[in-house]
Amino acid sequence: MNPILFAIKQKLIVFEKLLAAFCLLLLLLLSLSQVIMRNLFELGFAELDTLTRHLVLFVTFMGAALISEGNKHIKIDCVTATISERSKQKLKRPLYFISALVCSVFSWYAVIFWLDEKNYAPPSEQLALYLALILPAGFIILSLHFFLLSLIRDDGSQLPDDDSLIDTLVSQADLPSGSGQQP
Amino acid sequence: MIILLFIVVLLALLGLPLFIALAAGGLYASYATELNPSILIIELYRLANQPNLMTIPLFTLAGMTMAAGGSPQRLIKLFNALLGWMPGGLAMAAIVACAFFTAFTGASGVTIIALGGLLYPMFIQSNYPERFSLGLLTSSGSLGLLFPPSLAILLYGIVSGTNIDELFLAGIVPGLILLVLLSLYSYKSARRWHNPRHPFSWRVLASAARDTLWDIFLPILVIVGIFGGFVTISEAAAVTATYALFVETVIYREIKLLDDLPKILIDTAKLVGSILIILGVAMGLTNILIDTELPTRLLAITDNYISSPLEFLLALNLFLLIIGAMMDIFSAIVVVVPLIMPLAHRYQIDPVHLGIIFLANLEIGYMTPPVGINLFIASQRFGKSILTLFRSAMPFLGIMLIWLLMISYIPALTLWWK
Repeated sequence: MNPILFAIKQKLIVFEKLLAAFCLLLLLLLSLSQVIMRNLFELGFAELDTLTRHLVLFVTFMGAALISEGNKHIKIDCVTATISERSKQKLKRPLYFISALVCSVFSWYAVIFWLDEKNYAPPSEQLALYLALILPAGFIILSLHFFLLSLIRDDGSQLPDDDSLIDTLVSQADLPSGSGQQP
Repeated sequence: MIILLFIVVLLALLGLPLFIALAAGGLYASYATELNPSILIIELYRLANQPNLMTIPLFTLAGMTMAAGGSPQRLIKLFNALLGWMPGGLAMAAIVACAFFTAFTGASGVTIIALGGLLYPMFIQSNYPERFSLGLLTSSGSLGLLFPPSLAILLYGIVSGTNIDELFLAGIVPGLILLVLLSLYSYKSARRWHNPRHPFSWRVLASAARDTLWDIFLPILVIVGIFGGFVTISEAAAVTATYALFVETVIYREIKLLDDLPKILIDTAKLVGSILIILGVAMGLTNILIDTELPTRLLAITDNYISSPLEFLLALNLFLLIIGAMMDIFSAIVVVVPLIMPLAHRYQIDPVHLGIIFLANLEIGYMTPPVGINLFIASQRFGKSILTLFRSAMPFLGIMLIWLLMISYIPALTLWWK
């Protein structure tokens, strides 16, 4: 495994996590402040509304990039049930590479879209324009994440993904021995 | 080009993320129709104009917070104190607790993992047959799908443009009917087994209710807030997430803001990201398919074979059951809903009724092979084969099919409020 690529990937994950958590928290705080302002003071700010709606896109892209890490994206992989674990492992990196290519194509068109928007956006929509940068940025991050995953050989020496909430719940509610073998 | 499309489908079946397969499909469709692929990005960006979209991350955050804050344990304690004295009482408690919990966590598998792990040993200790226990817990992962603020209903409303308030209202009676049917089955079955039961105790119930008071208040807050006209859905989502965080950090003190909150936020982002990225890329693809008049062609084909709304509903149920067995619910909503909406309109099916039928079919699809996600999660959780779990879930599947027919052919169950 290439330690430089691995280090880059770990840094990328930290960045994605920070941005995802920050954007979601900001989304909550802004939405709550809007509720309070609207209901108690009958005030509303269009800019806040624009910001919250774009924050959902930020959370979406960062969440999608993070979930790529554990290969946990939603799939319709009914064929994989019929193939061996070894074959599944062999398929992983080519599939990551294809994912990276598709995301790269989307990144390209997202850049074109954003530049078009920049040329035609009226001054009143400047905030939305700059927030829309998440489209090219999001696809570029996704491409980079998938490229790194396709380049780094999974030899079992990678650091485990931090224990997710689901893992925590499993450990909290663990089955007693004898009640069914763990896979 | 057809070969390229075939390769994409094959790769999707081999494990390519669905959003990548849809994105590749979108690129293919745009080239085939000689449209600029930037249209796919334009459609994706339309997400930012959806006023209700922010409800998805916020309600998910509320559910994740409750899951991390020990809400499943408290709910089981309460419903067991309330129902555990009856024959099949523990099973009924499990049904209600799972439905309650799934409504907030969006049938994402957390219910089977969090509640199933707690309930399975309780079932075995209370002498419930293993097959019944596995069947019930496998089915339980999607039980609350029709109750507010279900993630699936929110997504359906956003994709189809149907009023989400109305969908929430329409789902309540069908959801309750399913709980009653499954509870009756559990009651009837358990009378034969003579499981040990605890006597009813007001003291135990009061103590459990005191412990769960703040959790129970959450759905009341959502339902009264929205249907009482006090808040909009997006406001309700913000208030619910804040309330859940407040309750778990300040009142129950199960969550430490600095230690636990980042993990909850990241897990929420992952779940939201996995769903909304599919919605984003699929919007472009479905829009191109609509531009190429695919729904019109489907309409022409169905007109040859189907002449009445009754026939259409029957065909729709069969089609959706197959889709539910092949696709996960969120992807099915995003991909299939825009294509069947014009067909349903042609046969005068109310869009709200269609939504409930759609979700009920996919709720059943959660426990049917080959892609029934509940089967996979339960298989991992309980260490049993998919086949064993499917066999165990058969009686519950049968009940759910009867329920599906009821809600499909008795629209009043869904549209009573109109």
